[in-house]
Amino acid sequence: MDRNSTGLVFVLPALIVLAMLVAYPVAYTGLLSVTDRQGAFVGLDNFSAVLGARATPQAFWNTLWFVGGSIVFQVVFGTAAAILLNQNFIGRGIVRSITLLPWVVPGIVAATTWAWMFHTEFGIINYMMTGAGVIPEPIGWLTNGSTVMPVLIAINVWKLFPFVAIMVLAGLQSIPNDLYEAARVDGANFWQEVFHIMLPQVRSVIVAVTLLLVIWGLNSITIIYAITRGGPANRTLITPIQIFRLAFESTNFNQAAALSVMFFAVALVIVIIYIKALASTPGEVK
Amino acid sequence: MKLKKLAVIATAMTMLASGVAFAGDVTWWTPNFNEARAREIVAKFENANPNVKVKLEITTSDGLPQRVLTALQSGAAPEVIDVQHAWINGYAQNDLVLSVDDVLKDRDDYIPAALDYATWNSKLWGIPYRIETHAIIYNKGAFKDAGLDPNKPPQTWDELVATAKALSKGKMSGFGITGGGEMGNTIFRSLPFIWMNGGDMISADGKKALVNQPAAVAAVKFYTDFFKNKQAPASTLENDGTALRRLFIAETVAAYQSGQFDIASIKKENPKIDIGVMQIPHPADKKTAALLGGWSFVIPKSAKNPTDAKKLVGFLAEAENQGALTDTFPARKSAMSLPRFSDPILTVFKEMLPYGRAVPNNKNWIQITQAYFDGIQRILLGDEDVQKSMDGAAKDIQALLDQK
Repeated sequence: MDRNSTGLVFVLPALIVLAMLVAYPVAYTGLLSVTDRQGAFVGLDNFSAVLGARATPQAFWNTLWFVGGSIVFQVVFGTAAAILLNQNFIGRGIVRSITLLPWVVPGIVAATTWAWMFHTEFGIINYMMTGAGVIPEPIGWLTNGSTVMPVLIAINVWKLFPFVAIMVLAGLQSIPNDLYEAARVDGANFWQEVFHIMLPQVRSVIVAVTLLLVIWGLNSITIIYAITRGGPANRTLITPIQIFRLAFESTNFNQAAALSVMFFAVALVIVIIYIKALASTPGEVK
Repeated sequence: MKLKKLAVIATAMTMLASGVAFAGDVTWWTPNFNEARAREIVAKFENANPNVKVKLEITTSDGLPQRVLTALQSGAAPEVIDVQHAWINGYAQNDLVLSVDDVLKDRDDYIPAALDYATWNSKLWGIPYRIETHAIIYNKGAFKDAGLDPNKPPQTWDELVATAKALSKGKMSGFGITGGGEMGNTIFRSLPFIWMNGGDMISADGKKALVNQPAAVAAVKFYTDFFKNKQAPASTLENDGTALRRLFIAETVAAYQSGQFDIASIKKENPKIDIGVMQIPHPADKKTAALLGGWSFVIPKSAKNPTDAKKLVGFLAEAENQGALTDTFPARKSAMSLPRFSDPILTVFKEMLPYGRAVPNNKNWIQITQAYFDGIQRILLGDEDVQKSMDGAAKDIQALLDQK
């Protein structure tokens, strides 16, 4: 046995496990997508049935809206929080821990709690706002077509911005002090430090974190499903929930697989474009 | 060394996957509300069949459809599972459960609509043991406050509308409808109105969508108008059956459709409410209708011990045992004469049973109801009027019916 084949023997168990856990489900999903319930080959019937459903394009746009809206605010608030937490002030440790809380709370717990807080009749948000006279009568936050998606995005932002904050904070702490000192000698103020030292230095962190957020966003089910189940009238239906509904509520695994295959392709394209556009450019931008 | 370890793990995994059932063991999944009664019946069964040991596993109804489906698909299912009637057809069509024609022989003793649910391809795939329909639970005190006679509840649609109008005062909503949460809640409450008006969601042969026909549109309008005219709570779009019960307990909803299972918790949480029950009102010249719901036993195809599973299910299907196990009513007529079903508060619910109908057996039924439910939400949101919304739903449903 030469060195290479010996090495192969050693990684073989890992490869087998990987094949079982990754390759098999992927291949099986592909197979499901071109067969019917009885396992007979049906070509692209499942794909055309899924594409023909009115909910599909709506879910796709909702997904982009939800993921895009969430990420912008997650990154902005997360980075702002990180810069804030990087300053020296009394009680910084406590504030840092508190900021992390939303990220630590299990998604389903957070979603259920928020659903009750936003409830039209029993929710504390309407109770406080009507009590303080901000709004004359209770608002159906989760049932009004124009408020439901922004509310869900807000909850999603609340849930994930601490993650961005903690990652960016770690990046900020690795910036050598010399840079700040040099800048101060040149007379730079705080904002110039933020835009010319901090942000360029943590750019690679933000790029990596954003990629993670894109992937998580495209796969997120918990928050929306637990709060609105995609309703009202599909206003908050995103593609992952549509797949879940098709498979586990309608027991139509074949159409669910077809939609998954298409969604996988779209997600792949988005991620590749993102990596090509951002991750490969040099780390410093003036 | 490593290989050996791997082999051990592999063997262990295979053993786990194949379950821990040995010959003579039967695992039975039953929901938590059945637990106490199920234990008694199991003891009785084990006395009569000393060779068979029954292992009870308690499930909860939240997320149960997904859990059952995962177990059925994985090939590591228990021997007997309690499922809701309407799920059975999906299992049968996906070849996940065993036919039980050899277990259930006395078909005449069963409520026909319950057997309709379990039938596919002219075979029986589940054994119904529990059935129920909705009636309307109402607050007699609220009736008095509104100057209505609580002992003369409305009987027709017009009377219900007038009653709801009279009851809606201040914080009180006259008649609560659902428009959110798990969509089954809204199907259960609105589809009977379509039926009693002579309409349906799809034609009997499963070829044509009927939700945009005049009979269905009138019924959907009747249902959604309670919200439009502010006789149902402002939170209707997020309310399911449980939310309505809470609002009823909080005395902000005066009447709503539900089953007898709500009565106990209302009595417990707000004993001040004087509970009345009425039949679901119908169009003046027509009969009422209700959707028949409830629970059945299925035997998964991958069950390790189908012989004893059938023995257990046969035992559970005996009239006396059905009568003991059910939380509401038994699916067998002969079990209905048991004393526990003679409580006067159940009278109206019992009267509704003969009007109970099964939903159609269509492989895309859930998607069909989803299309309809989306339509209802579009109306409640004010996006579209009833006719336009139901036209859209009919188009979506027709596309599902046209699929091979």
